[in-house]
Amino acid sequence: MKKTVSINLGGFAFTIDEDAYVHLNGYLSTIERHFSKSEGCEDIISDIEYRICELFQEGMEGRQIITQKDLNEVIKTMGRPEDFGAEPIEDGYTQPKKTDEPLIKTGKKLYRDKEHGMLGGVIAGLAAYFGVKNALILRLIWLVLAISGGIGVAIYFILWAVVPEAITASDKLAMKGEPINVENIAKTIEEEIDELSKKINDISNGLSKKRNKKDDSSKSYGNGFTY
Amino acid sequence: MKLENTKAQMRRGVLDLCVLSIISGSEMYPSDIIGKLKEAKLIVVEGTLYPLLSRLKNSKLLDYNWRESKSGPPRKYYSLTNEGTDFLGGLLGTWQELNHAVNQSTKKVATK
Repeated sequence: MKKTVSINLGGFAFTIDEDAYVHLNGYLSTIERHFSKSEGCEDIISDIEYRICELFQEGMEGRQIITQKDLNEVIKTMGRPEDFGAEPIEDGYTQPKKTDEPLIKTGKKLYRDKEHGMLGGVIAGLAAYFGVKNALILRLIWLVLAISGGIGVAIYFILWAVVPEAITASDKLAMKGEPINVENIAKTIEEEIDELSKKINDISNGLSKKRNKKDDSSKSYGNGFTY
Repeated sequence: MKLENTKAQMRRGVLDLCVLSIISGSEMYPSDIIGKLKEAKLIVVEGTLYPLLSRLKNSKLLDYNWRESKSGPPRKYYSLTNEGTDFLGGLLGTWQELNHAVNQSTKKVATK
């Protein structure tokens, strides 16, 4: 099950999966940033949005909801702004500088990283903030603080209450201090999917183990009842 | 020096000429222009066209009209301005000269 979002793109109404929506949003803002200084920027963007609509309509063939896969196809067809190569020829001899860095630099923000945390994700969040790969070191420091006088415990609960949890893909990027652009959001989403599929695998492994056990017990009853 | 870059620059050099020629026939809608350019393998990604159209429009070589469409919101139809027609004439002349010159100078290599 997935959450969907309703959008108005170039005058058409679409329903789009939430992850694809985040990605599309990022893609469109990359284009906007790329052309923000050119004359006729609004024209370019509205034309591109309109074309994206058409491509969605062609690609969906009557399906209701735009998925990440549909979006990937569209981006492949449309290309990324740095591949457009439409700068006037006079400055074409020097390849345009690739600007991966967004204009607005996102500083690191402190979030709670519940995914990798033990309790409230405070220490995992601090580890992400300070770029410490192994949160264990921070946990040990915290433990020392907690034992010697109990300041650690108090700080922990204050941070737990004050610091927001990293929920969206952009939160998670801000937590690690990575710039929020399409590639990075896509990377984060991929990582999440990987993690999710790992979890599913674990669960299904667990289930099949249980089932094996049950199979053994059902054999002893001899009624052949299987799942 | 990368072959791909040089190839892309060659294509880019003739892109203005081709887009203007395509539009010169009749008023054109961007998606139809894309169709023709892709058919001729002149563009790799579709995004290339839009900044180019905008640039040609800002240089007053093109203009557009809004037209109602049966299947959705109004569409932009691009057409050549008088200036654009003159510009295209100039480009075509140069292209013919170039075409001749390139054929002449690559004859030996091409027939091998």
